[in-house]
Amino acid sequence: MSTTGSLRLMKLVLRRDRFRLPLWWAGLVGLMAVSAQSIHSLYGTDEAARTYVSTVGHNPALEMFAGPGYGFDRPTPGVVLVNETSLWLALATGLMSVFLVNRHTRAEEESERTDLIRSAVVGRHAPAVAALAVVGAANVAVAAGVALVTLPFGFPVAGTVALAASIGLTGMAFAAATAVAAQVVGTGRASAGLGSALLLLAFVVRGIGDVRLAALSWLTPFGWGIGVRAYAGERWWALGGLVLFTAAEVALALWLSSRRDLGRGLLPERPGPARADALTLHPLGLAWRLQRGWVAGWAVGVFLAGLVYGSVANDVEAMVADNPQLADYLEQVAGASLADAYLATAVRMLGLAVGGFAVASALRNRSEESVGHAEMLLAAPVSRWRWGSAHVVVTVAAAAVLVALAGLGTGLAYAQSSGDAGQVARLTLAGLASGPAVLVMAGIATAMFGWLPRATLGTWAAFALFAVVQLFATMLRLPHWLTLLSPFGHVPTVPAEPWRAVPLVVLAVLGAGLVGAGLAGFRGRDLAVA
Amino acid sequence: MSTVIECRTLTKHFGATKALDGLDLEVGEGEIHGFLGPNGAGKTVTIRILLGLIRPDGGSAALFGADPWSDAVTLHRRLAYVPGDTNLWPNLTGGEIIDLLGHLRGGLDPARRTELIERFDLDPRKKARAYSKGNRQKVALVAALASDAPLLMLDEPTAGLDPLMEAVFQDTVLDTVAEGRTVLLSSHVLAEVERLCHRVTIIRKGRTVETGSLAEMRLVSRTTITAELAGDPAGLGGLPGVYDLRTDGHHVTFEADHEALSAVAARLGELGLRTLQSSPPTLEELFLRHYGDELEHGQVDHPAVVPRRNGAGS
Repeated sequence: MSTTGSLRLMKLVLRRDRFRLPLWWAGLVGLMAVSAQSIHSLYGTDEAARTYVSTVGHNPALEMFAGPGYGFDRPTPGVVLVNETSLWLALATGLMSVFLVNRHTRAEEESERTDLIRSAVVGRHAPAVAALAVVGAANVAVAAGVALVTLPFGFPVAGTVALAASIGLTGMAFAAATAVAAQVVGTGRASAGLGSALLLLAFVVRGIGDVRLAALSWLTPFGWGIGVRAYAGERWWALGGLVLFTAAEVALALWLSSRRDLGRGLLPERPGPARADALTLHPLGLAWRLQRGWVAGWAVGVFLAGLVYGSVANDVEAMVADNPQLADYLEQVAGASLADAYLATAVRMLGLAVGGFAVASALRNRSEESVGHAEMLLAAPVSRWRWGSAHVVVTVAAAAVLVALAGLGTGLAYAQSSGDAGQVARLTLAGLASGPAVLVMAGIATAMFGWLPRATLGTWAAFALFAVVQLFATMLRLPHWLTLLSPFGHVPTVPAEPWRAVPLVVLAVLGAGLVGAGLAGFRGRDLAVA
Repeated sequence: MSTVIECRTLTKHFGATKALDGLDLEVGEGEIHGFLGPNGAGKTVTIRILLGLIRPDGGSAALFGADPWSDAVTLHRRLAYVPGDTNLWPNLTGGEIIDLLGHLRGGLDPARRTELIERFDLDPRKKARAYSKGNRQKVALVAALASDAPLLMLDEPTAGLDPLMEAVFQDTVLDTVAEGRTVLLSSHVLAEVERLCHRVTIIRKGRTVETGSLAEMRLVSRTTITAELAGDPAGLGGLPGVYDLRTDGHHVTFEADHEALSAVAARLGELGLRTLQSSPPTLEELFLRHYGDELEHGQVDHPAVVPRRNGAGS
């Protein structure tokens, strides 16, 4: 292994990410602090924890998102904390690891800056080693932060250490997985996509495993992470599994990197067409061409996730039959059948994910501008409006299809298991209900692009806030106005509650207005490269 | 000859940085205009203003008599642009990008496209991410040269091209001008500028320091004279318009003002000429004169280009 210069490169990575790293850390640790505080105040005693378990129980719908419920036989506040937070936090930490590792490996290589770096006294493996070391340190820092903000609320030390370590090590496992992805594919976008897809796939597979077939969970880092059974008779060896998994992937990534040329992936480069087809000759067609690959990936992803969520819905019904008391409790809360409440939550969560797609997709305008592609087209007789709207049109159309597909997948699976074919149309429509909120996300991204092109990262901060509010508002007892801040907080919880047109129309108008304002801002400003 | 590009006292700031500080530029129809200046002098900023990509803070810019910002789309039907740092869509092939840019500019001549791809020895089936810098540059060049736009704006178009391709580029540009097109050529390859350009504008720190035809510029500059004399060269130094006299026995080298040449030649004749060589200033000498203080301050140790003398005679 050739790692000369790794230390210097680590300093470079730290310098480049001097704002990014603290922001990720603060976001993740802050989320944990709020969660620990809230669990402490709501379920701070064993008795309260028992109430929690008796209401939440071994509910397959919740196991999908929360884990298998280790320690539910002897509930403590720690058991509740793990059930409510550990998977989400591991997922977010995994996302951080995927993005950061890609940013400093394949994306950097694609920009050809790595050529310059590697021409200096720098070993072949040094860039990857430096990236993994810094991301590893970030995961350690997140784990330490998680432990530090949890302990003051009186959670046992051993369990807290196990929980924090499982989160950090799960993040590290996906950092290493992304390092492997960066060897296989040739562009930063593809390797970030592959890394995130692995992350989400692992999350879904673990969900199916926890509901249906426990062995499946152990195929994923999430299964090993939660398998440490924090606060429920820790099984420390599960952490060893994560360490081994990570080490094996790191070794694989470094081994693969010696077997390819710098700047190329392992997948061979095939020659393409010598002439452009009719699609590629227009800004709109070009925008679709540039985005269609990952739109297709998202389409498959949300449809499959919908199928998975929908297929579990019937188990919710079965469980209600076994435990009418629970049904009463949940129906009171949702004002609808348990299955509908669950389906509405599932479909809206997928809508939220599509909101993330919309942000990334609408921000393509900014990345195309900063790398200089926009300049090529705008120097041709293409107006700012025509160029800028092309990517947004693709974003909005693709997002509409994606929310419909999410609902369709959920509906198909639920219709199959419940024998009610009408669920297909009903849930597809429910999926579409998220559309206007997703449009608002595309609008925020476009407005930032038009008016504050150098601060477009802020869109992600807003999205992260909305996601936290959406996923944790009930559990964290967040103030109501915070929920109203998020566009997703205004989407009617269909099919659990009746349709309301007004919020949807208002959201759609707001979203369209933000898109228009953003493009108007872009028309009036200097093109900003880099 | 009508004016195609006209900039008057352009200014542009980026934060505290003054990128343009009263720049003037005038390009007439049918000419190849060299646009020269050290790195960071403001060449690319000027071109981006002319393309309507950024807006000047002060002064005026006109392209075909129209405002490059508000009439950008209309104006762009009449021009083709090659950026200095060509960034292409990594997953599109060179051929696709040529077609895309050509189509947006209103279509390109397929025969000409084929011919240029052959002349530049470009593989149009390669994905852009697999191209070298020179090949990326060729994609943008073929797209621009295959269009029939009356104005070509080329920002250091040959950076990264090998000498063979550089020659192909020069021939192609001369062909396009024979068709009556106008070219604005920003370049550091002075030999290329000397061969191609009718007129040049030299800028420095965002300001125009010299503009005119190369012939005009030479007139206001000194000629280097080297001679071997039968008589004693002492006394030459006393002539008006003679500078930097160096003598080595009967050999002399000095520089002379254009106006002093007749008197100097007469005096040399009186002293008994054995050999005589006179070199008009090269573009490089003209160019380097404008970074004089940088050279004196030792910021530039060596000229970045190899001097090429032309117009030598005896």
